[in-house]
Order: sequence, then C-alpha cells, then structure tokens
Amino acid sequence: MNGLAPTLEVSDFTQGGAHTPAAAAISVPRYYGETLLELARERPEIVCLTADLTTSTETDLFRDSLPERFVMPGIAEANMVGLAGGLARSGLQAWVHTFCVFATRRPYDQVAMQVAYPRCDVKIVGFLPGLSTILGVSHQAIDDVALMRALPNMTVIEPSGPAQVPAAVRAAANHRGPVYLRMLRAQAVLPPGTPWEPLEIGRIQPLAEGRDALVIASGLAVEPARQALQLLRAHGIEAGLANAHTIKPFDEAFVREQARRHRLIVTVENHSIIGGLGSAVAEVLAEAGSSTRLLRLGVRDRFAEGASMSYLFEHHGLSAAAIADAIRKKSKEALK
Amino acid sequence: MSRTAAPKGNSTAAGGEGTPVNALTLPSHAPWQQRGRLALHEPELRQVAHALRRTVIELVRRHGQGYVQQGLGAAEIFASLYFHEARIDPADARWDARDRCILSTAHNSALFHAALALRGMIPAVALDGYVQDGSPLEINVSERLGPMVEGTFGSLGQGLSVAAGMALASRIRGVPYRVNVVLGDGELEEGQVWEAAMFAGSEGLHNLCVVLDLNWMQVEGHTDSVLRLNPIADKWRAFNWQVIEADGHDLGALLAAFAQARAQSERPTMVVATTVPGKGVSALEGVISHNAKLPADVADTALRELGVSA
Repeated sequence: MNGLAPTLEVSDFTQGGAHTPAAAAISVPRYYGETLLELARERPEIVCLTADLTTSTETDLFRDSLPERFVMPGIAEANMVGLAGGLARSGLQAWVHTFCVFATRRPYDQVAMQVAYPRCDVKIVGFLPGLSTILGVSHQAIDDVALMRALPNMTVIEPSGPAQVPAAVRAAANHRGPVYLRMLRAQAVLPPGTPWEPLEIGRIQPLAEGRDALVIASGLAVEPARQALQLLRAHGIEAGLANAHTIKPFDEAFVREQARRHRLIVTVENHSIIGGLGSAVAEVLAEAGSSTRLLRLGVRDRFAEGASMSYLFEHHGLSAAAIADAIRKKSKEALK
Repeated sequence: MSRTAAPKGNSTAAGGEGTPVNALTLPSHAPWQQRGRLALHEPELRQVAHALRRTVIELVRRHGQGYVQQGLGAAEIFASLYFHEARIDPADARWDARDRCILSTAHNSALFHAALALRGMIPAVALDGYVQDGSPLEINVSERLGPMVEGTFGSLGQGLSVAAGMALASRIRGVPYRVNVVLGDGELEEGQVWEAAMFAGSEGLHNLCVVLDLNWMQVEGHTDSVLRLNPIADKWRAFNWQVIEADGHDLGALLAAFAQARAQSERPTMVVATTVPGKGVSALEGVISHNAKLPADVADTALRELGVSA
C-alpha cells in the first residue's frame, strides 16, 4: 500500500452497476486464485504474471503470499507473453493472466512464436470469456477459442463453472506445455454440497442421456443448455448433454460415437460459431461422412455490445429458452 | 590454429544459379570450442571475426543472395560475444548456468550459424545444409536446429521480452547467469521492444545486456528514411538502462562494454554498437541492402580480399 486512501474495490467487470447482485464479490470464494496458490505452494517452479488485472484474475492471493514469484509487467501483454516464454525456457512454469481478449487476440503472434511453437510450459489464463462483461466490444472474447485452437501444440480448456475450475487448473498444471484456460470468476458461492467436477483433458464429459438429440456445450453455455433440456422435456423432446471442457485436443471419438446414436447434435458455446466448439464438431461430422444434423448455437458472426450477462445471453440466443426454442425447431426438421 | 580440409559434403551441396559450389574455409580450432567463458583477447578475436566474415561470404555465395551485409557488419559483435563474453558449453547446450545468447535479429543467420560452428556448438559440416530444403539451418534462425538456439525470433521485436524473462528467472531461481541479446536497429520500431525495455529497466535486470547492431539498415533502406530512431542512447537511458556507445568494429571497445555491463549491479545494459554493413569487403562496405544479391564474381573477389585463394 502506498499510504494513500484506499481506492474503491475494483470489481471483476463482470456485471457492474445496476446489474450487480446485492452481495458483492467479496464473499465469493476465489476458486481459481485459491487453487493456483495451493498448487504454487506445492510446486516451486510455478510463477505468476498479471497485466494490471491482479484482483480481476484472483492472482492477488498469489501476489500477497508468494511475492518473489509474482511478476507484474504492467499493461503490456505482448511483453508479458514473451517474458513467460523466457521464464518457461529457464525451468519455470509460467501462468499468464489477463482478460481473454488481451490474452489471445492482442498477443497472438507472441503466443504462437514464444509459447506454442517452442512448446513452452506456459499457461495462458483468460478471464471474461465471450459475452460476460459490461465493458463492451473491446473486452468481449468471441474469437479467442478459435484463435487458440488454430495454434499447433496448444491445449484449450474451458471449465463449465466454478465447480470445475480446480480440476481445470490442476489438469493444466499437470500438462507439460502450452495451455489456454478460459473462465469466468465465480459470481456466487457454490451451494453447500455441490460436488467438485472432474476434468480429464481431451475427454468430453457426458452429463445426461437423451434419445432425441445430444447437446454438446462448453463453458458458461453448459448451464443454460442444462436448463434448456428441462424445457424441451415439456415438449416431449429428450435431449442428452455433454460438457466439452477441452476444445483441443478435441474428443473426436466421442463425437463420432454420438453421431451414430443421434439424428441431431447441437453445439452451444459462449463464443462465435466460427472456429470454436461448433466448428470442431462440424469438422468431425463432415469428415466422418455422418448424416447427423448439426445445429450450432453461439454468437452468430457479429461483434457484441457491453451489457449484463443475462441480457447478452438472451440477446444472442444463449438463454435456456432461446436454446430450447432453437433445438425444438431444428429437431422437427431432423426428426422428419 | 589449424585449418581443416573442407568436409566432403561441400561438393554435393547445391549452388545458386549454376555457380560451382565453394568449399568452406571455417577453421576447426579446439581451444575455441572449450566449455566456459573463453575471454579471448583482441588479436585472437580479430582472427575469429575474419573467419566468420569468410564463412558469411561462402554461405551466402551459394545462394547468390542473403543477409551478407548484416553478417559482415556484426562479425566483431559475434566474435566478442561468443568468444570472449558468454559462458557456454558447446557439449551441453542445456547447461543450466550457461549465459544465454539471444539473436533477436534472427535473419542474421549466416553469421550466427558460422559462429555456432566455430564455437563448436554445431558441427562445421552442418553448415552445408544452410538454407537447403529440409535443413534446420534456416535463413531465419529456428530452434529446429536444437537447444543451442535459445529461441525463434524471425518475428521481430520479441527477443528482448524472452531475454528479460530468462534474466528474471535467474533471480527467481537463484541460478546466476547473464543474458545477452543482439538486437537490430530497425527492430526498435516494434512497440514490444519498448515494453520489454521498460520492464527490464523497472525491474533492474542487471544480468541483461543488449548489443544493438546499429547498422542504420532495414528492408526499406536507411532507417532514417523510415523512422527517426535518434536519439537512441537517450531513449534507453530514459528507460533506466546503463547505455554504452561503442564502435561495433572496435573489439577493445566491445570488450570494455561487456565488462562495464558485468560490473553493473542495478540496471540492464544497452551497448549501442555502430556497425557498417558489409564491413571488411571493399565492394560491399557501406552498401545498404537488407537482403543483398551476391553474384559469384563479387563473392570470389570478396573471398580473395579476405585471404581465401580461389
């Protein structure tokens, strides 16, 4: 502290203003930050870098506990990624933190040349995935998965929510090499008794069975997809659900197997339908010569605007109702 | 110093435009391939620089075009870096306590590969693959070659950030080593260089030393015709660096600069080394050409000038 009066608590820019829930984020556990710190205490090779977004990426825990392994390069993501490459080449495991857009689109060449190509043990951790912020078009990462997925040697992981964050962090740490980890800070405490979700890199996680269709969702889209399944049931449609927490390496075998069992596969992602989960599934189905219909739900090739997450999800067809509606229409066509 | 016979592979390497393939005259000199900091003095370093220049011409001659001007221009920088300053082990490129040498100007590859071979970090015969299809000796240096290449920096502006990360890792891990970077002047136009400069200056990475190969040359021509780089030294001073200005062909000045960098305990060091493109070959000296054509007759004249009989 510099002795000046403390500034206002910096929020995580997720909701803000009138949209902020009454209970501010202070009481919400920092599932990511706590897991990273726990790991770093076990593993002296872990170092943490943050580009002026320490609180927003929950790395204040690391900074305050292990300051000698905390690096603050300032608002300079290209340099931060290069530094991480240099640290990783020198025997350390470097965890880089900022918002998803600034972790991917901005330093893309640096990530490609200084992390992916040399297979450096760097974990690029992006917050504010997709349509999750009031901060507007500059801060909305609708193409980050596509960008990272296109890079050779890169692993792309997106946990479905706070309950899967610890497993995602541990999986990334145990994977030697480049990882892009995309997530949103928890908005609320997990209800008591919520089980921790496992995560095995490269294996799609089946969550529910259903004969009429299979919904493959990722990240923040898993929850509305789960709710959509309930709505569909009321219309006599039994859809299954799977969580594609790893977009790369992609579980092609799972998709091929499911294509044999379903006439309709639906992808739901908090991301552009170009280059992400929907594209990954489409590629598998096309190469397998599958006749299974495919419906890709997500951001439809347009930039978004700043607003609350609920508004944005509604507006871009990612609410439970919108997902159910789209599936209902498509399944009529598919089940003809 | 003994000069070994040219490896047999030379006779089969492809020549540019039907030019007969020339043999390489790179000497193999065991004392120059020892582990550790060689700390060679000026007279020997002059021999090193001379051998490097010859090899640059010989390598570029085979293609008729390449980064010959930069290679000739930075011969003293590379001689002083690899044969005086840097503590390396040619037999163990992964030696944890080695000094790191980062070539941020990855296109200066004829000189770089020649230096690696002369230092014993790659076999001299490997030079025959230089810029041949399928060879790991690419025109932009790549770590495909192996761990003796500390990073891949064909995309300009990235070397200093990685070097700063390595310098910082030395502090975090408590493993003392130095990190040296050869940076290009045209590269100063990349914003990331200044991000890294600000970081290194702010962190006081005193084990980091950059040699700026100031040849005033970039693809478009003279750097001043593109962007005004001056005042270069003042810019780096303002970023909290120790700045030393040196004639990049004056070995004594370069050694003194490295010594001053070593003695520094608070700041990273920037050695602004003014160099002349094509230095040492009268037909090429001072010619501004980023990727120069090198016809066989010019190359042969150059080699004669450098003491190689045809």
